[in-house]
Amino acid sequence: MKGLLKNNFLAICSNVKAFSAFMLMLGIFVVAVISPSLLIGYVLLSIVGFSVIAVTSIKKEFVSKWGKYKLTLPIKRANIVKSYFISQLIWLIVGTIFAGASISLSWLLHGCPFDNSIDTLSVFALGISVSLLTGAFFFPLFYLGGEEKGEVSLVISLLCGIGITLGIISTLNLYLTPGITTILLGAALLIICSLLMFALSYPLTVSIYKKKEY
Amino acid sequence: MENILELQEISKAFPKSNFTLDKLSFSLPYGAILGFVGENGAGKTTTIGCILNTVRKDSGVVKLFGKEMQDDDTDIWEKIGVVYDGDNFPGFWTAKQLSEVMSGIYTQWDNALFQKYLEDFHLSSKQKIKDYSRGMTMKLVIAVALSHHPQLLILDEATSGLDPIMRDEMLNIFLEFVQEESHSILLSSHITSDLEKVADYITFIHNGKLIMTVSNNDLSNYAVMRCKESQFLALDPSDIIAYRKRDFQIDVLVSNGKEAQRKYKNSVVDHVSVDEIMLLLVKGERV
Repeated sequence: MKGLLKNNFLAICSNVKAFSAFMLMLGIFVVAVISPSLLIGYVLLSIVGFSVIAVTSIKKEFVSKWGKYKLTLPIKRANIVKSYFISQLIWLIVGTIFAGASISLSWLLHGCPFDNSIDTLSVFALGISVSLLTGAFFFPLFYLGGEEKGEVSLVISLLCGIGITLGIISTLNLYLTPGITTILLGAALLIICSLLMFALSYPLTVSIYKKKEY
Repeated sequence: MENILELQEISKAFPKSNFTLDKLSFSLPYGAILGFVGENGAGKTTTIGCILNTVRKDSGVVKLFGKEMQDDDTDIWEKIGVVYDGDNFPGFWTAKQLSEVMSGIYTQWDNALFQKYLEDFHLSSKQKIKDYSRGMTMKLVIAVALSHHPQLLILDEATSGLDPIMRDEMLNIFLEFVQEESHSILLSSHITSDLEKVADYITFIHNGKLIMTVSNNDLSNYAVMRCKESQFLALDPSDIIAYRKRDFQIDVLVSNGKEAQRKYKNSVVDHVSVDEIMLLLVKGERV
């Protein structure tokens, strides 16, 4: 697993470096400017952005014969898939840390950036949910459609991630009355649902990948 | 003789391309190099795919180290080194990074040995693989394939596209590898001259079908008779492996040139190369 995670890291290393530099500069700007909507955008971009970069690492496997070569190494196909899921979770945490650092700094310098401090949690739940759902859709779709449809798989997955997250929020809003408990419950449900789909996506991806021929 | 690799009636159909690997059987003994010969599209890569489980066979049995291999048998994969033609590794990696990845995958990864190969092959560990020449890339792949102490090397067109000097270097490495009796190589190639130099056995495949497997010793006895129509008609059919009609002569492949020369006094018997054997078997009529 260590080698696979290293492989995944190397696949996105240069992209992550560039994105981190961009997010750092954007973060400084967002912290300097007092704008809740900008801050929300930054949080979502940071969490979703790192995750999207993470999932695209899989595409790089097939630029060379590495994707095929990997199958001749002493690793199980299930572990290859698992490494992608773990990598995505790691980059989701990195994105969340970036977002958390900016929010904390903004809070420290200008006070609570939102009308209600609990809204921060909602924004984070939204970003995490979209990220997890994007991964949950992308991995099986990628193996199903093949590497040549990688871009469209990513767009579909991202749209599905956003759509399902908004769908869950709308459904919760229908049945729950507004309040702090509702926000907390909504955020928890959002993360639980997306985590569940992310977890279910793993055996599905493994079963698709096991049937693939290279 | 014990076999490191055994294929028993391997079949695989590709309905879209109308290609079928048809009940292919051959074996590779310990301490030997088996050359796997066939024209482009003959089914060499598919066969190797079936051996390595990158292609799902429809039927048949592949035994590696006496055992039918499954995806989960990672201990067997530890003992195999693979070299594909072309870019085996991502071009944005360096050899150093490649070693770091491999050390996290192979339990027996020998970084000192890998570094030694890099030095011997004059490969920079800090240069990106995409900046390597084709020869350097192939040397790197072979270094990787050897640096986890495998017992079996499976090479799919590993020498194609390399110049003769580079190919000779590669072949020497392969010969050195099989000095150990427990080591074997399956070498797929359409550069038959390479196989003549190093292979102990040569397996011919055409259109997904096995034509024949022959030892290099026996192969040296093979010859081609240049016959006129009348001479050809006088030949005993049991002496003919294959024949090919040309404009003014008929080339006949026989398994024992000296015997043919004795038996058919007036005929012209020439030494035959693997290339010519393949041509006769593929383009000619088999008896």
